[in-house]
Amino acid sequence: MNNQLLTLLQIGDSNFPSGAFSHSFGLETYIQDGTVHNQETFFHWLRIYLEKQLVYTDGLAFRLTFDHLADNHLTEIWQLDQTLYVQNLPIETRQANRRIGERFIKMGIDLYSIPLLEQYLAKIREGEAYGHPAIVFAMISDDLKIDRDEAMVTFLYSTITSLVQNGVRGIPLGQTAGQRMLVEIQPYVWKAMERIKCLEREDFGAVAPGLEIAQMRHERLHVRLFMS
Amino acid sequence: MGELTGFLQLTGARKGRKTILKESYSEGAFKLTRPLYLTQTGEAYFYIMNPGGGYVDGDSYRMKIFLEDAAVAVLTTQSSTKIYKTKSKPAYQEMDIYLKSGSVLEYLPDPVIAYQDACFKQNMVVRMEPDSSFLCSDIITPGWAPDGSWFQYDLVQSKVKIYMGERIVLFDHVKLEPDVDTTGIGIMEGFTHFGTILVIDSRIDSAFVEGLQERLELMSAVRIGLSILAVPGFALRVLANSTQAIEAILSLCHEIVRTNLFKIEPVFLRKY
Repeated sequence: MNNQLLTLLQIGDSNFPSGAFSHSFGLETYIQDGTVHNQETFFHWLRIYLEKQLVYTDGLAFRLTFDHLADNHLTEIWQLDQTLYVQNLPIETRQANRRIGERFIKMGIDLYSIPLLEQYLAKIREGEAYGHPAIVFAMISDDLKIDRDEAMVTFLYSTITSLVQNGVRGIPLGQTAGQRMLVEIQPYVWKAMERIKCLEREDFGAVAPGLEIAQMRHERLHVRLFMS
Repeated sequence: MGELTGFLQLTGARKGRKTILKESYSEGAFKLTRPLYLTQTGEAYFYIMNPGGGYVDGDSYRMKIFLEDAAVAVLTTQSSTKIYKTKSKPAYQEMDIYLKSGSVLEYLPDPVIAYQDACFKQNMVVRMEPDSSFLCSDIITPGWAPDGSWFQYDLVQSKVKIYMGERIVLFDHVKLEPDVDTTGIGIMEGFTHFGTILVIDSRIDSAFVEGLQERLELMSAVRIGLSILAVPGFALRVLANSTQAIEAILSLCHEIVRTNLFKIEPVFLRKY
């Protein structure tokens, strides 16, 4: 046991002020059209989001960032940052990740004064990078010498936790139902991590058509609790 | 990659009002028609023919398209791309596109039909000047299996990478790998057919996309997503239950782009 556990609990906490609580990543579209309306339908959406989108985008980006850092291939990380931005076709989720990413960088700088994050922020200000939470989370974890896979599973779980909390607010569901979902999703989160470990770089960025269309359609919702 | 099943290369150049075929070369199972002029505006129409009839095990195809300054071309196919059983090695298609200043390319192929046990990968790389324009569409449909069910193919993967200079401005990666979840929420949402249209053009702004959205909202029995891209341009995705329904959306979108953006008359390429 060491203080890396507490660090992961802190940066993976859904109360960590990254702004993730303002974004549903298309979930709200499903809530409004009635497709997601209870614990069961929400769980189904959540699992698909994890397995068919998160794994191939943020999850794989996280692992690639870690691997590039180990090889000291910074150029590849900046390319990954650009690719993450341009592969995100719905404008709201593209902006969501950019905003969350940038806030995450600033928190990281304030808390741990990591020179690489200063460099990342400078690149964003020069218009050469955009910012993405997966890259930032990986950079912080790497700097603090946290085990890659532990950091990766925490990152996935943290993303899922934010979405569960947003679903609990948006559907709405009881707090106990939300917590029950977090228990049930855990084996899928582990499975997702194992899957990411086996992916190739060529697998990066695969999208699930329905999820992406819902993220695009979110722009057109009349009443919105969430920014994406 | 070993020997190609089909190879095609073409260079379009502007000569006065017209775009001409400056150079072309084809090999194997790809043939190119002479340019046709279907409108008064001088853009060249090219049809790609694949006399082979369908893609099977390990087939690989490659196309290279060059448009010189101010050349305007429309590229399409003569029939759908049918992917049959590809058990040992996926069928593969690669396309490289180079668009010089002021050129316009519309690439509107017929649908890809993936039959039982089909595995198909396509890769497109576009290198364009910021003042050139690019439009491409893609329709993925499942072929019927002998038992009457859909989604018996193994994989359809389609990647598009667009660069301006060294910088990537769009990366689209669609990967449909049917499993128990495919027909449901988040993936096909109960639909069977999937289509995309991507348009990059420096004149596209949020007002244009808003106008397009309003026209598309009148279409029923389909699910459409539309969003503005990181560079001036938009992506449209559509889920539907027939090729005709998708083609109707894509041709409406194509027509609006031609009329309101390119300021040229609409054209109807499909054979229905």
